[in-house]
Amino acid sequence: MSARGYRRLAEPLRWAVLGVAVLVLVVFLLAQRQQGIDVSYGRSPASTAGVATDSAGTADRATVPSVDEMTALVAAAPVVRLPGAVAYWNEQRVREVAGDTRILVAPPGLDKDERERVRDVENATIRVIGTEVSGGFYQASSDTLPAWRAQFATGDVTDLLIALITALRKESTPADRDELRWREPSGPELTAVLTDLRATGRHVAPGATLTDVPETAARNAFPDGAWYVALPVQRYGEPLPRYGPALSAQFPDQPIVVMYGLWIEYHGPGAADFAELAGASFYGQFASVLSRSDYPQRNVLGVYLNRVTDLRYAGLFERPLPYRPADPLRVALPALPWLFAGCVAAFLILSARSLRRPDRGLGRRRDTAPVRLAGLTALAVEVSLLTDARSNPALTRGIVALQAARSAWEEKLPARHVRTLLDEATAELDDTARQVGIASYRPDNYLRGRLS
Amino acid sequence: MAHPYLFWLAGAVLLVAAGVVTTLLPHRRARSEQRRTAWSVARAAIDSAAVSRDAAPDRVPEAERLLTRAESLARGGVDAARAAAEHARQADRLWRGQR
Repeated sequence: MSARGYRRLAEPLRWAVLGVAVLVLVVFLLAQRQQGIDVSYGRSPASTAGVATDSAGTADRATVPSVDEMTALVAAAPVVRLPGAVAYWNEQRVREVAGDTRILVAPPGLDKDERERVRDVENATIRVIGTEVSGGFYQASSDTLPAWRAQFATGDVTDLLIALITALRKESTPADRDELRWREPSGPELTAVLTDLRATGRHVAPGATLTDVPETAARNAFPDGAWYVALPVQRYGEPLPRYGPALSAQFPDQPIVVMYGLWIEYHGPGAADFAELAGASFYGQFASVLSRSDYPQRNVLGVYLNRVTDLRYAGLFERPLPYRPADPLRVALPALPWLFAGCVAAFLILSARSLRRPDRGLGRRRDTAPVRLAGLTALAVEVSLLTDARSNPALTRGIVALQAARSAWEEKLPARHVRTLLDEATAELDDTARQVGIASYRPDNYLRGRLS
Repeated sequence: MAHPYLFWLAGAVLLVAAGVVTTLLPHRRARSEQRRTAWSVARAAIDSAAVSRDAAPDRVPEAERLLTRAESLARGGVDAARAAAEHARQADRLWRGQR
């Protein structure tokens, strides 16, 4: 590209670069106001609201008598069941280790003061509030899925009682025994459940406290929808109807959530991958709260579904993540400083280029001043031999003009100015030549002769 | 980098500074060139007038006054230089016309 073409391009480019820099700066400033934008990829949308507070899960209908009354009751009988108590145990097995242990069984859902009152009954060796078993400084708690299942599906606290009694007596604890029994649901039972599930996607048995399924939590946990079967707490000692496997056998692709009281099971696709994990992490965290309180099934189900969602988003089992497009502005923001820096640098370089003296390159090629200056100087020297008093002043003025032209050229003053001075000198020398009377010394002729 | 805002601030300052410099510098350069050119013209005219004076057979008081004034203006801006050149040319004409 020629130098001139390059120059012609450089100036618009310079201003374009400035425009881009200003634009980037404005975008940056505007982006400062939008810090609230939050782009995340694959963060679980599960709500973080938990269940564990002191007052949550208390029931107004649950209450206990005064400490004195309870103390009298415990003194009268080895096992006292207060109204509303839900804990049961294998009396045969407990009796084998019990000795003169006195057990006070209180209902779940007591508030803090009422729990304190139960603990103040000093002659009770063991206190059972809901299914929370404590005594002395100890509190027994389950840590396996079958134990939690027995505790929350039927109110079975046999293993907890045995563990606590033997611990209090510093004896060795016999191994836990899973006494829960299952039965296949009968044909009419299964038909009734299926009818409900086909119609509304959920079956709430009489006595169950599930009013509705928490919608957002359910959608997050099972985007394709799931069936919910809610049953009340099962009577202790009776076999549980095995709805989950029975329904799964008929609808293998259908996620099914079955609740027995506060015990939640998952059956269906992916069950092997996460059902145990979800159950273990859920009951591991909430078992102690759930055991002493009286939550409706809906609340517990909501928390369980959030846990399932968390597991799903943690990538622990195979499910596609919902696509969340990234905000292009946020993605582009880190590049802005570099873009800005590049624009500033380009503008600075182009500005510096534009400051360079433009005359040099152009002037040198077309500048005839040195040639004329040299020619006229030589002419002046030659003519000076022939001048007399009359023609001397013109010659001297010509030489003065030549000197002025030379210093102007050396100072790089505009070419036009140098030319004017040279013209002046030419006119004076022309005068001189005419006064001397030699036509070949007239500058036009002389210079033409020199150049040819 | 101390603070991201400083980066943008420095960039903006650089941009403004470059703009100011590229506007002011050619302007000043042109003015300076204009002034030097004007003085070059004035000096040439004064020198030329001095030659004419030396060559003139008689004294011309008005021309001498003009030339003195032109020489006394030897410092100043473009206007002073133009005035000096004008005085010198006038004096030159007077001396030359005397013959």
